[in-house]
Amino acid sequence: MFRLIYTEWLKWNKQLIFRIVCAFYVILLPSVLLLGKKVPELPPPIGTTEVLFIFPTVWSYLGYIGNWLCFFFFGFFAVISITMEFNNRTLRQNIITGWSRQEVFLAKFGSIAALSLLATLYYVICALLIGYTHTDVVYFSKVFQEGDIIFRYWLMSFSYMTFGLLIGFLVRRTVIAVFLYLIYIMILEPVLRWGVHRYFWEHPSMHFYPMNATEDLLAAPLSPIAEEFAQKAGFDLFMTPFEAIITTLLYTSVFVFVVFSHLKKADL
Amino acid sequence: MILQTTHLSKHFGPLKAVDQLDLQIEKGMVYGMLGPNGSGKTTTLGMVLGIIHPTAGSFEWFGGQRGSNPRRFLGALLETPNFYPYLSAEDNLKIVAEIKRIDKPDIDRALTLVNLLQRKRSKFKTYSLGMKQRLAIASAMIGAPEVLIFDEPTNGLDPQGIAEVRETILQIAQTGKTIIMASHILDEVEKICSHVAIIKNGKLLATGPVGAIINDDILIEIGAEDKEQLRTFLPSLAGFTKMEETDFGFLIYLQDELSTSSINQAAFTQGILINHLRRRQKSLEAEFLEITNQN
Repeated sequence: MFRLIYTEWLKWNKQLIFRIVCAFYVILLPSVLLLGKKVPELPPPIGTTEVLFIFPTVWSYLGYIGNWLCFFFFGFFAVISITMEFNNRTLRQNIITGWSRQEVFLAKFGSIAALSLLATLYYVICALLIGYTHTDVVYFSKVFQEGDIIFRYWLMSFSYMTFGLLIGFLVRRTVIAVFLYLIYIMILEPVLRWGVHRYFWEHPSMHFYPMNATEDLLAAPLSPIAEEFAQKAGFDLFMTPFEAIITTLLYTSVFVFVVFSHLKKADL
Repeated sequence: MILQTTHLSKHFGPLKAVDQLDLQIEKGMVYGMLGPNGSGKTTTLGMVLGIIHPTAGSFEWFGGQRGSNPRRFLGALLETPNFYPYLSAEDNLKIVAEIKRIDKPDIDRALTLVNLLQRKRSKFKTYSLGMKQRLAIASAMIGAPEVLIFDEPTNGLDPQGIAEVRETILQIAQTGKTIIMASHILDEVEKICSHVAIIKNGKLLATGPVGAIINDDILIEIGAEDKEQLRTFLPSLAGFTKMEETDFGFLIYLQDELSTSSINQAAFTQGILINHLRRRQKSLEAEFLEITNQN
């Protein structure tokens, strides 16, 4: 397995797009949060911007930024990492050279799992650094009060990339696949949920869509307030973290399985 | 036995791209698969290389002695050279070595063989077509596999590129490796291969040693004032196999070498005045068409 991931690394590490994606992630993750320092005050009832930087809330604010970055950069990269292999016909060359189809599958999913792990590690380091430098009195119990957020972060990144791989494998053409990935998450699924599903059946089940569940793994931290408004209107805006984890795991497993069976059967 | 296919078939809808193909390729053969474009050569290689699923039939590498994934013991180039354009030749070959699980690949040696060592740090996308093709040959050589597969290795190359690639393949063949080469160029197969299989519309038309399959008759154009007299005289020539009437007289096929001067002399002694006599290069395309059209 290590050898397969290492081979993928050889393919990626000198690729310009991979370097750009990583650079953006590394720079933007802490700096977008730290931009909060330029904002004197948040709208009520939060008020002070301090919550952005102190334990334990730094986890969810930084996580929400990471949510957008992973969706945009790593998901995008996952799509093109596959479509470019189809365009250059290197995926089929990998098999001619000696990989089995199962090894191609393991290499791809192993490497996105590893990349998600590195992204999560960086998130943890940033959160700890920012948290420790901004919290006056640090209680260890406060630091990891919501420790499961670290797992949720990894799952969020892995889920976006799995969805990216799925689209890349099925569509094969870079421009169409990237377009479809972005359009599905930003437009198609919200329309399905809020337009179609809610129109026919106004029920919390409208949240149980794959990319919405992934997004809700690290929901917008303003949620307590927003939820309050929504609840007054008799409605939940977000899934609970537990629901989001289970839903994401289920969908991700289905996507992984679809890619696997497709890869087994397809003529390349 | 290196490769055996049994009733190997691939259908794309109603099209039978490969139809019940039986091939036996033994160790040390330089095996040419000859056929026009679209005859099913690449599809056949795609199946035995694991990227296309056969509709029916089966194939077996190395008599089943190399486990479930024998491709690691082959070096193959299928259609166009496929590499990561943003990586150098060296980095591309490192990936090949990783996939083949070779710990200390001799990349420099492979690149020297195809004369690309100087450019090993240049990105693949900066290579000319000939260089790409040669890199593909180097890539197939990584790990010194006992079997090499080349699909149209000289396709799209200029005359010098063609000569270089053929020379490289001949050198490899002399080291005793088994080579399987698909081509639509008769001349190429004749120059390089020891055995040949002729394929058309996915069907095997003929297979065997090159000399036995590809006719190497000598062709002579001959004409005389008295055409009828010439017609009765020609079959008496040594090694005569057949003749065709043409606008200048006749085109005759001879099995044995016979100088034009001796033909002229023999005709003259019979009282035939030759007015056209010319030895002709064998028309390869014509002959190939003949082979494939017979079926």
